[in-house]
Amino acid sequence: MVVLSAARWLRSRLTDRFWRVQEVLKYARHFRGRKNRCYKLAVRSVRRAFVRSTKARREKKRFLRALWITRIEAASLEHGLKYPAFISNLVKSQVELNRKVLADLAIYEPKTFKSLAALAQRRRQEGFLAALGDGKEPEGIFSRIVRHHY
Amino acid sequence: VAKTSLTSPPWPEVPKLPDPVEEAKYHAEVVQKVNGMISAGEYGRLFAVVHFASKQWKITSEDLIMMDNVLEAECGDRIRLEKVLLVGADDFTLIGRPLLGKDLVRVEATVIEKTESWPKINMRFWKRHNYQRKKIITNPQTVLRINTIEIYPCLS
Repeated sequence: MVVLSAARWLRSRLTDRFWRVQEVLKYARHFRGRKNRCYKLAVRSVRRAFVRSTKARREKKRFLRALWITRIEAASLEHGLKYPAFISNLVKSQVELNRKVLADLAIYEPKTFKSLAALAQRRRQEGFLAALGDGKEPEGIFSRIVRHHY
Repeated sequence: VAKTSLTSPPWPEVPKLPDPVEEAKYHAEVVQKVNGMISAGEYGRLFAVVHFASKQWKITSEDLIMMDNVLEAECGDRIRLEKVLLVGADDFTLIGRPLLGKDLVRVEATVIEKTESWPKINMRFWKRHNYQRKKIITNPQTVLRINTIEIYPCLS
């Protein structure tokens, strides 16, 4: 005979509660206190940890950029230039290196960083002369804009 | 005449630039020297700054690079990285404005593996509003090995 619904004595029981609980507790094992053992406390801590990690991924970029800027500032001060002067003159000389690479060069390639600082200093002097000399002197060599044809 | 606060301008005295003719001679000499060094091969390990996958990398030979996106090349393909911003050795550096010429530098790389990243968890939660969303994201990643960086003596 055809039976469309299950009989009344067949109840559905949850058999994998252990594994569902372990899925959450595995992310809480390195926490401090009872929240690494008790499910009720762990659920809340794990949820906050996930939310904080998503927000931190966006702030990591800001934090790293500030770190690079600090390092470049320290390195350029060693060569007698301040950070805004260094960056603005590099950009005006059409050198498009970003702060991450400049910080790496300042750490691992000191001679290259010194040459970049000298370039920025020279471009700065040419900028001053162009501003103060009222256009009668010849233009500086490092202020020429290069146009490429690729 | 006595010096007052208005005798000289408030900005520092700018030193004169060196004579342009002498400068041109000095520059030509330096360029010739560097050209000679490159053609004689008197450099050790070269490093380069390359713009690739919308990021700038400082690379040497035998370097591993991981990009957070897909590259349309099979595993084992040799790739030439154009868009070189800077090349340097121990005694000289070639700075591009902004890029160096393709006939000056050659950077070769091989695609080693194409995988997915570790499962990152994206969770949003508003308290007291019964709102939480959990998403697991795996970004595709590509690993490249930089084989060689070569420079050719064609400075001018």
